Order: sequence, then C-alpha cells, then structure tokens
Amino acid sequence: MGLTAKDIEHLKEALQQAVVKFSERCLYQSAKWAAELLDSIPDASPAEVEQRTAGGMGNYVHPAFFPSADPVEAALEAKELNRYLLAKSFFDCKEFDRCAAVFLPESTLSGVLSAKMSEISSPRGKGKANAALPAEHALPALSQRSLFLALYAKVISGEKRKDEDSEMIMGPQDLGAVMNKQLLIVSRFLERWFAERETEDGEGLPPSQGFLEYLYGMVLVKQKNDQTAKDYLMQSVHIFPWNWGCWLELTNLISRTEELEKIAPHLPQNIMSFIFHANTRVNLYQQGQDLAASLNDLLNIFPTSSFLLTCKALLNYHSKDLMTAEQDFSNLLALHPHRLDSLDHYSNILYVLNSRPKLAFLAHLCSSIDKFRPESCVVIGNYYSLLSLHEKAVQYFRRALTLDRSCLSAWTLMGHEYVELKNTHAAIESYRRAVDVNRRDYRAWYGLGQTYEVLEMHAYALWYYKKAAGLRPWDGKMWQAVGSCLQKMGRDRDGIKALKRALLADSYYDSTASSFGSAGPVDRMAQMDPEVLLQIAAMYDRLDDEEEAKAYMELCVAQEDGGAAGAEGAGLGESVAIHRDSPGGVASDGEAEGAERGSGHEGTGVTVATSKARMWLARHSMRTEDYATANRLATELCQDGVEVEEAKALIREARSRMELANMMDR
Amino acid sequence: MSRYLTPAKIGLLALIELYVEEAVPNDAIVPVVNFITSHLLDCDLSISSPTSSPDRWAKAESTIRLVLSIRDFEQILGPFAAADRLPGRRLWDRFLEKLWRIDSLHGLQEFIDRLPNLLARTKDELRRIAEAGEEPPTGILLSRNSPFGAFVRRSGLEFARLQFNHSAELWQGFVKYRQPTAAHWRRRNPQHGRLSFDSVLMDGEEEWGASTDALAVVAYGNMLLMGDLDETVPVSTDDIESLLEIQVEQLHKYGNRVPAELRDQFRDLLKDSHVVPSLAHYLNFSDTWRSGDYPTSFDYLHRYFDYTMQNRDRLFYQYALMNLAILQSDFGCHKEAVATMLESVSTARENKDITCLNFALNWLFHFGRAHPKLVRELESSSMLGTGRETLMFLRLKARESGMWVLWSSALMAEAKLVMSNGDSVATALEHMVRSSQLIIERNMKTMMGAQLATLTTLWDRLGLAYMSKMTCEVFLRCHALNSIFDDELKMTCRLAGLLAGKGKYEEAFEKIEGMNSNSLRSVKASQYWYLFRGLLKLRRDLHRGNLEAADHLLSQLLQAGPESLEPDMVYMIDSLHIEALTRRGDFEAAFNKIDRLIGELCEDNRDVSLRIRLLLNKAHLFDRIDRPEKGFTIAMRAASMAWRARLLPLLWQAIGALANILNALGEFAAAAQMLLATLPRCLETDSIFVVATLYSLLADACMGQAGETQGRSAAHLQKRTEFLTRAHEALDAAFKHYSAVEDVEKQCEMLAKKATLMRVMGDHVLAEDYAAKYLALKREAIGRNG
Repeated sequence: MGLTAKDIEHLKEALQQAVVKFSERCLYQSAKWAAELLDSIPDASPAEVEQRTAGGMGNYVHPAFFPSADPVEAALEAKELNRYLLAKSFFDCKEFDRCAAVFLPESTLSGVLSAKMSEISSPRGKGKANAALPAEHALPALSQRSLFLALYAKVISGEKRKDEDSEMIMGPQDLGAVMNKQLLIVSRFLERWFAERETEDGEGLPPSQGFLEYLYGMVLVKQKNDQTAKDYLMQSVHIFPWNWGCWLELTNLISRTEELEKIAPHLPQNIMSFIFHANTRVNLYQQGQDLAASLNDLLNIFPTSSFLLTCKALLNYHSKDLMTAEQDFSNLLALHPHRLDSLDHYSNILYVLNSRPKLAFLAHLCSSIDKFRPESCVVIGNYYSLLSLHEKAVQYFRRALTLDRSCLSAWTLMGHEYVELKNTHAAIESYRRAVDVNRRDYRAWYGLGQTYEVLEMHAYALWYYKKAAGLRPWDGKMWQAVGSCLQKMGRDRDGIKALKRALLADSYYDSTASSFGSAGPVDRMAQMDPEVLLQIAAMYDRLDDEEEAKAYMELCVAQEDGGAAGAEGAGLGESVAIHRDSPGGVASDGEAEGAERGSGHEGTGVTVATSKARMWLARHSMRTEDYATANRLATELCQDGVEVEEAKALIREARSRMELANMMDR
Repeated sequence: MSRYLTPAKIGLLALIELYVEEAVPNDAIVPVVNFITSHLLDCDLSISSPTSSPDRWAKAESTIRLVLSIRDFEQILGPFAAADRLPGRRLWDRFLEKLWRIDSLHGLQEFIDRLPNLLARTKDELRRIAEAGEEPPTGILLSRNSPFGAFVRRSGLEFARLQFNHSAELWQGFVKYRQPTAAHWRRRNPQHGRLSFDSVLMDGEEEWGASTDALAVVAYGNMLLMGDLDETVPVSTDDIESLLEIQVEQLHKYGNRVPAELRDQFRDLLKDSHVVPSLAHYLNFSDTWRSGDYPTSFDYLHRYFDYTMQNRDRLFYQYALMNLAILQSDFGCHKEAVATMLESVSTARENKDITCLNFALNWLFHFGRAHPKLVRELESSSMLGTGRETLMFLRLKARESGMWVLWSSALMAEAKLVMSNGDSVATALEHMVRSSQLIIERNMKTMMGAQLATLTTLWDRLGLAYMSKMTCEVFLRCHALNSIFDDELKMTCRLAGLLAGKGKYEEAFEKIEGMNSNSLRSVKASQYWYLFRGLLKLRRDLHRGNLEAADHLLSQLLQAGPESLEPDMVYMIDSLHIEALTRRGDFEAAFNKIDRLIGELCEDNRDVSLRIRLLLNKAHLFDRIDRPEKGFTIAMRAASMAWRARLLPLLWQAIGALANILNALGEFAAAAQMLLATLPRCLETDSIFVVATLYSLLADACMGQAGETQGRSAAHLQKRTEFLTRAHEALDAAFKHYSAVEDVEKQCEMLAKKATLMRVMGDHVLAEDYAAKYLALKREAIGRNG
C-alpha cells in the first residue's frame, strides 16, 4: 500500500483540516486521534520541503481559515461568528447548557418540539399542523456547525447530569438505569432536521457536512436503536470519513465478524475505512496473517502512530503471543511516555506474564501522570490483584468506574476480583454490566458462566459459556468450559463434542495446525491437555463405550512423554487461559499443573489427570483380565507415588490372579 | 505525606531485619538495638535523666536528623564490622546491601510483605505449620507485642492502608533518601549504574534505549530533574505529631522556648507536611507568648482553639478562656484578664468541668494576692469570698477530685498567707509539711520548686540564712532539672541575692550569668533576669557610692511598670530607690515616697514584712536628718510587729534602730546592752550590712559610755580605756563588715571614727595612719567611680 508523496501531502492536508473541524465542534477525542495520526506521518525529506517552500511559504494558510466549501453555510457561519465564538467558549468552560442556549434557546426548542409533538399526536393532520403554525416552528436558520455544537452540548450536558444522578458504583440504588434526559429532545430535533431535508424543499438546502448524522447516530446508539444508528453513522463516514469517533461508534455496533463482512461493501473505500476495518477485526478478536499484514501496511504510512501500534500489540495479545505483545507495548511506552490510553491492556499482559516489578513500575508511571484516569486505576487495580490484595483491587476498579462508567475492562476485572472475594452476586452484577457495555467481551461472558458454575446453576453457565465460545471459537478454554458444563448436566455426547473441539482449538495455536481437519483429535504429535482427554474418556466410560474410553485414557497417559514440539506454546496458552479466564478456585491447581508442565519439555510428566487415567487403565486391565498390563500400570503408579495404597492393592490382586492363572495353566 | 511510614522508617525496618538475620555482630548489638528503640519509643531510654538542659532537645533533634538524612545510620553502623567477617566489610555495607536490594516499587512491596517472617508465629500459625509438616522457624524472632514486633506489625498495616499513589510517593522518597549512599555503594558494586535505583528502568534500558530517561522522568517527576533543588522532605504525620508532643512537653515541663535552630528545622518539616496538626498552632502560640509577641500569640491561641474547640464531644471553651486570661495577665492587661478568668470560671461551672474550675480559682487567688486592687471589688460583690475562704474551698475540692498539684499549691498558698499576715509560724510550717508530704507521696517533681521556694522564704523570715541558702542549693543541685525554668531562675536569683548580701558580688554575678541562655529567650524570664541583675548592680553601686551609675540604673528599673512585675521586685526597686535618694541627701523625696508606700500597703493589707521594712526605712530617715528621737514610736512599732510575726532579721534591725535612738537620747548603757544581746543572733542572719550597722552603733554606745565615765581615778581611767578599747573593737568589726559589703561611705565613716578614737587615746601615729587610709579609700572610690 504505497503512497506517493503527493498522496501523503493530501492526506496531511485532509487530516489538518479534520483536526480543525473537530476542534471547532469540540469533538476533542476525535481531534486528538486525528492529530496523533497526523503527527505519526513522517516528515517529507528536506529536498521536498525546500521545493515546497520555494513555491512560497508566504501564502501559507492555517487550515482554520479555509472557508467552508458551501457558500450558503459560509454565509451563515460568517453571520453568527460572534455567537459561535461565545458558545464555543462556554463549551470549553464546561457550561454546556449555556452553550446550547446560545443557539437554541428554550423557546425555539420548545416551539420546534411542540410542532413535532403535534405531528406525532395527529399524524394524519400533518399538513394541517404545518399550515397552522408555518413560520414559528420552522427550524432556526443556523449553520450546521453551530447547530451541531448546540445539540452536542445538550447531549453532553445530559450525560453529565446522568453521571451526577447515578448512584455510587454497585451501590444499592445503582441499577444502571439512569437515562440521559436530553437524548429525546435532541433526537426529535434531528429527526425533524433530517425529515426536512428529505421533503420537497430539501433540494435548496446546502449539503450535509456529516457531523449531524454522526450526532444522530450517537444519540440513536444511546437509545439502543442500533440499526438506524448504523445507517446514519455510515452516512456520516461517507460524507466525512475522517471522523474517528464515528468509526468507533460503528465498531462498537458490530458484535460479530459476519456483520463486519456484511457492511464492508457499503463503506467508502479510503484509508480511514481501512483503519476501521483493521481495528474492528482486532476488537473482534480476529487474527491471522492478513490482518497483521494490513496493520503493517498502515504502519508503513504512519510509522509511529500510537493507535496502530496499540492495535498491533492487541492483535498479538489476542493471538496469545504475549511476549511480542509485551514488547510492542513496551516500545509504545518508550515512544509516548505520557500516553495513558490502552495501558490497561498492557497491564493485563503484564499480569498474565506475572511480571510484577514491571507492572508496579507501570502503575507508578500512570499514577504519576494522572491518578484520576480510568486507565491508571485499572493498571493499579491489576497490580493489587496480582498481589492478591483483592479488596484494594476492587477499590481501584470502582474508582475507574466512578471516573468512567463505560470502562469495560474495569467491570470485567472487578467481576474477577469479586469472584476471588467469593462475592458471587457482586461478581455476576459486574460481569453483567460489562456485557451491557460491550457485548463482545468474552471474558465477561466466561466469568458469568464460571460464577454460575460455582453456584451450580449449570444451565445458566452453559448459556454464557456458549456465548464466550461463540466470540472466541478457537479458544480451547471456552470449549472446555462448555464441555465440562455439559458433562455436569449429563449431556455426555454433546460434552464430548465440545471437548474435542477444545482439543482442536488448542492445537490451532501450534504451527502444525494443518491436520486437524482430517485426523480429528487423534493428532498424536500435538500436545494435548490430559485433563480434557481424561474428561472425554470419563464421558465415554459413562456412555459404556469402553473402546473409545480406553483410547482416550491411553492418549492421556501418553501425554506424559508426548509431543515435544507444542509443549511450550500450549503450556503458555494454558496458563494464559487460566490466569485471565478462570479466576475461581481452578486457578490454584491450574498453576500447579502449569509449573509441572513447564519443568519437562518432553511432555507433561506425571499429573493428577494422567495418574487417574492410568488407574482407570489398570482397573480396566483387571476387568479384561490382562493382569500383566494391570500389574505394570499399578507398579508405575507406585513409582509415581500417586494413590500408592490403592495401587499396591491392585498389584497384589493382579499378582495373585496371575499366580492363580499360572497354576490353572499348569 | 504519609501518615506513618517514611523512608527513615523503612531504614529502621531494614535494620531490624539485619538484626533478626543475626547479621549484627555481638559488640554492635547493644548500640544498634538502642538506636532503633530510641526511635521507636516515645519515652527517653537513657537511665540517667538528662544532665543539662540542652540535652532535653536531643531527642527531637535526632528524630529530625533521621528523617532528613541517612547519615545517622552510617554513624551508628559504620564503626562495626559485619558479622560475616569478610575483610573490610562493615555493618554499614550490609545495611546498604539491604536497602539497595529494594530495587523497585514492587521490591518495596515485597520487602513489606516479608516483614511478618520476622515475627514469632502465633499459635494458629504454628498449628498450621505443624499440620503442613514443616519445621517452625528458628533464630531470632520478634515477639508480637515487643516494641520491635509492634513496630513491624504497625508498619505492615500502615503500608497496607496506603493508597497506591502514596506508596509510590513513599518509594520515590525512599529512592531520594537512599541516593546519598550511591557513591559508597558503587565503590563496592562496580556494576551499579546510573539507573540502578529502579531495576525496571535498568532492565528496560536495553529495550527502550534513549527514551528510558524520558520514562524515568515521567514516572519520578521533578525528583530526577531538580536533583538537590527539590527540597521536599519525606516526613510523616506520625513524626510531626511526636515532635510536636516532645516540644509541647518541654514547654510545659520546663517553660523553655524551642531552640531557634530546632524550630527552623521543624518549620521546614511542617512545610512539607500536608496535614498541620492543630497542636502546631499551640506550639506556635506558646513560642510567641514566651517571646513576648503579644498580637501574634493572640492570633495563634484563637486559631488553636478554633480547631480544637469541639473535640471528642467535649467543650473546651473554658480552657480557651483560661489560656486567654493567663496570656492577658502576662502581657499586663490585668483587668481584661480578670474578666476573662471570671467568664472561664462561670463556663467551667456550667460545663461541670471541675478541673478547669479549680485551676481558674487557684489562679484567681494568686492573682488576687498579687493585684489586690483589681480583685477587691470582686470579693465584696461576687460569691468568690475572701482569700482564705477561697483557699479552703480549693483545698477541699482538690482533695475531692484528686488534683494533687492543686492541693499542694493551695497548701503552700495558705502557708504563705499565714506568713505574710504574720501569724503563727507553726501553722505555716504545718501547711508546708503537709504539702511536702503530698509532693513526696505523689512524686510531683514539678512542685518541688514552689515548695522549696516557700521554704526558703520561711527560713529567711526566721533569720536562718544558712538554712535558706542550703535549701536553694538543694533545689539547684537536685531538683532543677525536673522543674520549670522559672523556679530555677528565681532560686538562682535568690541565692545570688544572699551572696550579694554577704558582699560576694562577684560570685552572685557568676551565678546569674551562668544561666542557660536558651531558656532566657523566653521574654518573662529574661525580663526577670535583667531586672535582678540590674538590682544587684544597683545595690553594689549604691554601696560603692557610685551614685551616677546608680541613677542611671534606677531610671531604667523604675520604667518597668508595676503591671508586669511581681510585687517583691517592685518593693525591692522602691526600697533601693529610697536608699539612693537618702544617700544623695534628697530626704524629702525619700520621705514622701516612704509615706506613700506605707499608705498603699496599709490599704491593701499586704505582707507584714514589707510594712516593717518601710517603717524601719522611715526611722532610718529620721536618723539621717539627725532627729532620731522622732522615729522612736516607729522603731518601737516595727520591733513589736517583727517580734509578733517572728521576723527575726527585721527585729534585729528594729532593735538597731531603737539602740540608735537610745544613743541619741544618751542611754548608752541600755543601748549597748540591747546591742550586745542582739549581735550574735544577727550574725546568724547573714545580713552583713545590718551587722555592720549594729557594730557601729555598739561602738557609738561604747564611746558614749566612755564619755560618761568622767572621773580621773585609775578605776575610771581603766574603765574608760576599756570602753574605748571596746569601741575600737566594735569599730574594727563594723569596718570589716562594711568592707565586706564594699560600702565606701560607711567604711570612711568608720575610719574617721577610728582616727578620732586613736587621737582620744593619744595614739597619733595610728590616727594619722587611719586618716591616710581614709584618704586613700576616698581616692580609690573616686578613681573607681570615674
């Protein structure tokens, strides 16, 4: 994706203008994003600069002074410049209501809305109502910029009030049901505005700039009217593609890969859409060479873009390549030491890597920069969680949520902490909030499932596990959870299927992932989780399918010295899954296993699961009167030092039987 | 600023860990443990009480030093070899190793997490260990409730309570605290690098390269950029509070001001502390009060009570008023003080605060003694009653509520009252003994000053100068360290006064100049000190006949108004003023002054001894204008009053005055008889000037007797010679005593008399000799006075 110097010039110009436009409309985050992106484009070579300056730096125009393209809009903007400046200052001082009232005083607003109301109340008398109140209730003649600013101020003021009205995080009154009361007004107004353009006199009006569509989409999203919102947002990005906020809203609306594929053709074809595509795929936990390649392409254009670097790191994180992800974040940190955004993900990675000093340093850094940013609080919370100081961790996650209720990772992480604190109700509520904020968060779904499993409500747990597995179909941990749940519910057939899928998914991460389609689970060279194998075997055993059970038991035992190649990767993947995804009681023995597994590169070594399998096999041999095998297996058990008493009893029995058989033979 | 933990405390923890690890060699154990303990415990550990007053501040100073710098650790640890006996390795190196091993914020967390291992295990833990089949830990373990154990536990708890950013601040403070040792540490560890203070940065340097510095600055903030310019001091509220307590305790106990240096250091600490405990305002108030800064001290007092008025559901308004009243009276606003104190009394009554009420009444009583005029209207109109009733009430109340200090002071006040009324000495002594018993029973060391001061007064009045001197000495040697500075000052002054009375001016000045200069920074003390020194000088100048200098001093002393002075001092100044006037020959002014004073005293019903003194002054004045007979009744009255009140020194003086009158009347034999009987007793009182006067009177009487024996017979002659010899002896003694007190005028008078006597006896050579001496003395005096 090579760009010529001229393209880059254009890109820069477009971004510069975009930043100015965002600043004019007080869309701070989008402005920041665009400016960051702009800054990450490498400067042209000195020769080119010279060439350009030769053309005359004297007629350089600051992008802020580019006139509006549309003469009607330009005239309006010129007319209301003073009021606009006033409104903008109010907005900057966080006096949102006052800002809104500059352009849309209550009287105008009520007029417009009452007209609308009457229209709604008597849809048939539409023409009549319009005729009756023709002039008074027409929309005020404002430039789109001013209108956007006014309506946006209204929305923001509503948000602010909503935050103020909300109760303490997870307090008794905190039901998450406080609504933004300004949304209705704004949406009515915009509805009318758009309706006016569609009707007969729409032709005479200047073309839309795209921001009002964005605002309407945003409002609709808040009103949970997702489909319409998506339409408006897409309209907006078509008109003005540089609005990252808009793209982000779109990303949040897409919860499945299929949806992304569906809307992809309807999107404009430009670099922003490309970035959006990559980012959305990362957010959907997608991975693959093509995604990495497209990110790399983008990074060629914007080599130091913190946003793209973050995406890359997250991609590595999602594909469980933690070391690389850590490296990426570390480099990012060195590049932008004052940037707090997405450091919470970094802290998750450090948590999983158990890199305590570094996590402590990161927390220190964050708290030095700004201790009242949700990201800082999440980092600190993660650090405390790693130290097993769960109360303090909860305190910091709560602080993060008080600062920003939509801080997704804080909700999920708080759920984990509550699980640790054995407060299942609080945990469920936290997870539920997390899911409400972002339905793509598989960790929250998984956490919900796990909590219900602790409460022995398997049907519920199964539902949530399935959700999680749907979000991450290649994550063995999810399928294993589904399988275990099914097993506990007595649906062994389904359980076996799920667990086999888990085995597949685990081997997906190996480099030898090619053969799983054909050979199924019996890919003996790959490292497999003996636990899963044991579970499958046990289920077959319960289904009285002795042959299959025996096969899986043997496979399980074989893992002790099996597949050398995949040991590391799988072991790591396992530990990841355990650390991040199963904070419950499973974690402790999981860790122990992990340690055992880490010690022997050749195989898992003797684990509880393999010993159980061996015991089962020994018993099975006894049943099938294969005393020699039984004796061998039991002796091995004795050597391993697991369940020695029972093993010795087996040996005695086997020997006596063998002697008996010998005697009989004779 | 943290509540409790500071880098210095982490240092102490590291040291405790070293000790538990048995890394401290045997010879260092006692100093190290002593060092740690002295910083952990509030009380003073040294067995002997501080030997001199500057040592009292040593604890505060060492606390501040430890907070400010790590050098204290070096001082204590440097001299000892490490227990592992590697050549050249000091305990200090081991300590540094410990500190530098805390190499990141997480390292600090781990260090704190490791602390419980230092403690002895609880029963539960032991059981768990036994269940797990492990060996319980051995070696040195700190018992959970020992000072060390409590400190370790508290540190762990306080760390757990810290917010993250506070623990990060603690870490930064620790890095900074440790940094001065980097050079030393690098010498031992060559791999030590620039970023060694944080291992994460050190490890990250490979990865981050040049931007590591930027990251370090972001994380550590200005600390790295500013270097030494960053003057914030890591001090905890706990340190501040303990320092405040030390200072306030010192102020209360000894009435000293905080030394300037210490005060400045403390201000620096307070500047970096986010929380300023309200006690700090009290400290400021005390300091400004003592420095005599009236408006500022008012400001601080109000500020302090604004912050503490409502504390633990109790009202402290009455205390505020009480402090205000004391402050006002100290600055001479007596009327306001009385009004405030009365309000305090009524508020205390309302709030049923017996303690405060009793203190207020006690204060009012003493105040009334000192300023009778102001209280007089009150006594008639209010329910306070007269002095004695108040005292009775106080005594009973104090006994009921167990306020021993108040009880004993009430007893002493009663003893003083008895004395000043001239009542039975036995009663006074009884009160004294009871108070003494109380003091000793309750071990109230602070009351010792007042008790002994009253006792010296008693001995003085009884004319037992050596007893009073001894009491002074006893106090100064044994009790001065435990009592407030005011007592020490007054006792020293009294001792100096006694010495001056004996003519040992140099010694007296030495005593006074030897006072602790820091304690004298308090304005009242220094005022008293200057006044007393002035008085001593004035007396010496008067005796030496240096009237110019005396006038100069007097004009200064008289400026100190009676409001801010104690009545004793006022009387002393007045009497010296009278003497100066007499010596100048301005008899009329002197007479008027005496008359006025007598009038005032009679009106106020004041101390008997003062009245007698004034009467004697008056009699002396009549003598000076050569009308001694006019003073007869006065002298008689003085004598009888002194006898009744058992004021023996004054009695002898009165008898001297009487003898003088008898001499004037020609009743030489009677005069001689009286004087001979009086003299030995008077010698006991150590007031040399009176003795000298008595001797000179005796000489006069003898001369008179010699003059009366007119006959020419041998017997007569012999008798006359005998009288003359006696007179000569008496003159000799008088001269000797006058020279002792350096009274030039009287010395000259004696020499003149002697010369005359010699001439009468026919020894012209000696007469010439005496005359020459007389002239030499005069010349010398003139030469000395310039």
